Amino acid sequence: MFILGVNAPSDPVETILTKQQGESGQSIKSIADEAAYNSVRHKLGLDLPLFYFSITNATACDTLYRIPKSNVRDNLAHIAFIYGNWPNVAQYYATLKQFETAVSKIKSDSSNAEDIISAKKNVSELYSDYDQGKINVALSKLNTVLSKPHSTLQSLAPKLSELKESEKYFIDHQSPYQKCIPVVHWYGFRNQYHHWLVSFLKGDFGFSYQDMRPVSSIIGDAMKWTLGISFISILLAYFIAIPLGVKAAVSKGSNKEKLTTSGLFMLYSLPNFWIATILIIFFCGGDWFSWFPAPGAAPIPSDASFMYHITQTIYRLILPVLCWTYTSLAFISRQMRGGMLNTLGQDYIRTARAKGLPENKVVWKHALGNSLLPIITLFANVFPLLLSGSVVIEQIFSIPGMGQVSYNALVANDYPVVFANTMFAALLTLFGTLVADILYAIADPRISYSKREIV
Amino acid sequence: MSDSKNIDNDASSQGYWRMVRKQLFKNRVAKYSIRFIVVLLVFASCADIIANEKPLACNYQGHTYFPVFRSYLVSIGISEWPAELQNVEWKKLNYQWAVFPLIPYLPQNIDEANIHSVGPFDKQQVSSIHWRHWLGTDELGHDILAAMIYGARIAMLVGVVSMSIATIIGLIMGLLAGYFGDDRLKLTRAQIIFNLLFIVLGIFYAFGLRFYALNDALASSFISFLLQLMISVVMFIVMLCIGNVLAIPFEKIPFLGRKISIPIDIIVSRCIEVMMSIPTLFLIMAIIAIAKPSVILVMVVIGATAWTGIARFVRAELLRIRELEYIEAAHALGYSEIRTIFKHALPNAMSPILIAIAFGIAGAILTEATLSFLGIGVPADIITWGSLLSEARSKPTAWWLAIFPGIAIFITVTVYNLLGEGLTDAMDPRLRK
Repeated sequence: MFILGVNAPSDPVETILTKQQGESGQSIKSIADEAAYNSVRHKLGLDLPLFYFSITNATACDTLYRIPKSNVRDNLAHIAFIYGNWPNVAQYYATLKQFETAVSKIKSDSSNAEDIISAKKNVSELYSDYDQGKINVALSKLNTVLSKPHSTLQSLAPKLSELKESEKYFIDHQSPYQKCIPVVHWYGFRNQYHHWLVSFLKGDFGFSYQDMRPVSSIIGDAMKWTLGISFISILLAYFIAIPLGVKAAVSKGSNKEKLTTSGLFMLYSLPNFWIATILIIFFCGGDWFSWFPAPGAAPIPSDASFMYHITQTIYRLILPVLCWTYTSLAFISRQMRGGMLNTLGQDYIRTARAKGLPENKVVWKHALGNSLLPIITLFANVFPLLLSGSVVIEQIFSIPGMGQVSYNALVANDYPVVFANTMFAALLTLFGTLVADILYAIADPRISYSKREIV
Repeated sequence: MSDSKNIDNDASSQGYWRMVRKQLFKNRVAKYSIRFIVVLLVFASCADIIANEKPLACNYQGHTYFPVFRSYLVSIGISEWPAELQNVEWKKLNYQWAVFPLIPYLPQNIDEANIHSVGPFDKQQVSSIHWRHWLGTDELGHDILAAMIYGARIAMLVGVVSMSIATIIGLIMGLLAGYFGDDRLKLTRAQIIFNLLFIVLGIFYAFGLRFYALNDALASSFISFLLQLMISVVMFIVMLCIGNVLAIPFEKIPFLGRKISIPIDIIVSRCIEVMMSIPTLFLIMAIIAIAKPSVILVMVVIGATAWTGIARFVRAELLRIRELEYIEAAHALGYSEIRTIFKHALPNAMSPILIAIAFGIAGAILTEATLSFLGIGVPADIITWGSLLSEARSKPTAWWLAIFPGIAIFITVTVYNLLGEGLTDAMDPRLRK
């Protein structure tokens, strides 16, 4: 999870800063904003090394992570990789920075505004060039800008020649074989991974990049919905599926049974997002029936009575719960049928029948108990299925649960939310497995977990 | 002697598969499922011939051309378009005669006369019945039937490719865990140390040092990236071999030469459990979030998350097989581990893998449809069944956008599930008559 977050393409600091600056849309380029950039970066702890140690080639610098912007950082690492002498490249970077500061200090007026813009453009070009040819082109462009007569920029000429010197120096003094030597750097506990792990274990999942709300409160709100609906639909699925499966197993071979079985099979392969879409098209307003409110309808007024609140919520949840339930329903009842068929073939059932017990009693009392056992463990399989399903169904029906939060965070590159959400989904699944195991042990006294073979 | 044994072996293994096939074809549902899959595969592979904007054959300015077939040649670089046919609008040319494909549209083509979602039964602005949009158009005027046919190609590709990836990973993991268990994989300490060391070094030299080369290749084209990746993988394997060779002299030292059994089963089982505990869609979304959308990535990611099922099947089967007497016999005869695994143990574990693959393809197609329905993973310009369905959400009156792709997904998934079901029955000895 953490690895994914670090490799994420967009720069979280920029996301936050653009959010804070409102929709002005300008990205942080100028020197003045760099302080703001660094402070946010420090707050997020991104100015620390990634892991406890790193293995790099000898050209790379162990303090590279101190350079704020990721594109500059990558570029410098690339230059160092090609020419193999980090100190000289660092010198070049320092000179480039000085030059940039000098450029931004010159007051812009109508006569030189264009030149300053062009100079700044070339400087930012230099920050992202690693190819010698490209660097030289940018440098010579800077040269033409500066050498214009009567320009206020002429004062920068010595700085530029210094820059050129440093560029020439690292090209002349290259040692490309350095990169074949592996080096291990040890950073200690002051690293991003350690901080992330410790705060995760403490229950602090960081802040959302979108609105700086703590992730734990976002997930807490979302989890109420997802868990609530999952709970309802699991109950529903079990209550309908068990009698259905038993009936199908008892009347095996009859036409009615064949119909139910194949119907259940089809239900199992019906994509739930399709059903949800069709239900919305045909039953929620539109040209056909408007039996149910359209998803995302006006929220229930908060001053409404408690009963109204409850009935409205239930009314709105009918369709989502339907879509949520049917896949697991089909899955469980198919397994129930299989388990029941297996049990009905056992010797003790024959004994029960031979005793003259009524068929009803044989099925519901003697067979059901034993065939229920594998169904209990299915709980562990159904639960992740429901969580995965939540992504689509919550999206379609606009339910603010974990799936929707995850999806929205994903679209907005809000990684702390995405990763915490995924971790929670995994924890919930593990919890489901645990519950299933405990239920299994309660239901079947023969099973003990003191010595277990995992298959 | 050995020849006759081989013949025996072949005959009996052929016999088993023949029996399975017979059982499978006895099952009517499974038989029709297979036929349907074959038809679907034909549709998917011949999509260019069935639905295309170019004519199959035409006579233009006195010359006869076969533009659809020629475009294959052009794409591999053997042939080139003649000057008068370069960058032309194929439908507006003045042909002497032309034979157009059954559906004269590409999914990308926009029919300006029929924009804003014209239904299949609505009045359409077309010149003749051949040009009719049989399944209607969408908001921008794309032909739905053409999109459905090209969507079949994507669905089949995703199903097959991602399951191949999943099978390879699952097979290796399941084999290691099931065959070796916790006690059979024994390595000397020197081997362990050298392997760990050279894995790190191999990653450093093969991938770390070539990082920029790989990056540039990825930016230029996928084929060159594959080539560079191959070079890296070969380098990595060579490094591992060097490590193992270097370990040999060190094994003479008593301390380093002692054998330790590696609990590979526990390691693999924990890996499987960790993978299974994360709901698939959340995991896939988190991975896809950080990369550029592409169909290949979707295939790889689905494959990389779907291997657990196959690995569990293989592991369970091999745990059973490795206790059988004929494996013991193979050991007694001094066969190498590799020979025992691939020639004797694995062929007997194949049947559950086939079942898992059939169900897995259904799952992969469903996952891909879900992803493109949500608009993540698959690039916007590639039309799939899932992306067609998502268009229906923004335009609820266009029922044909919801019904047809949905039915396509449903039938394809069902058919693969039915095939899996049929295979299960055919391989179940209790059901054999």
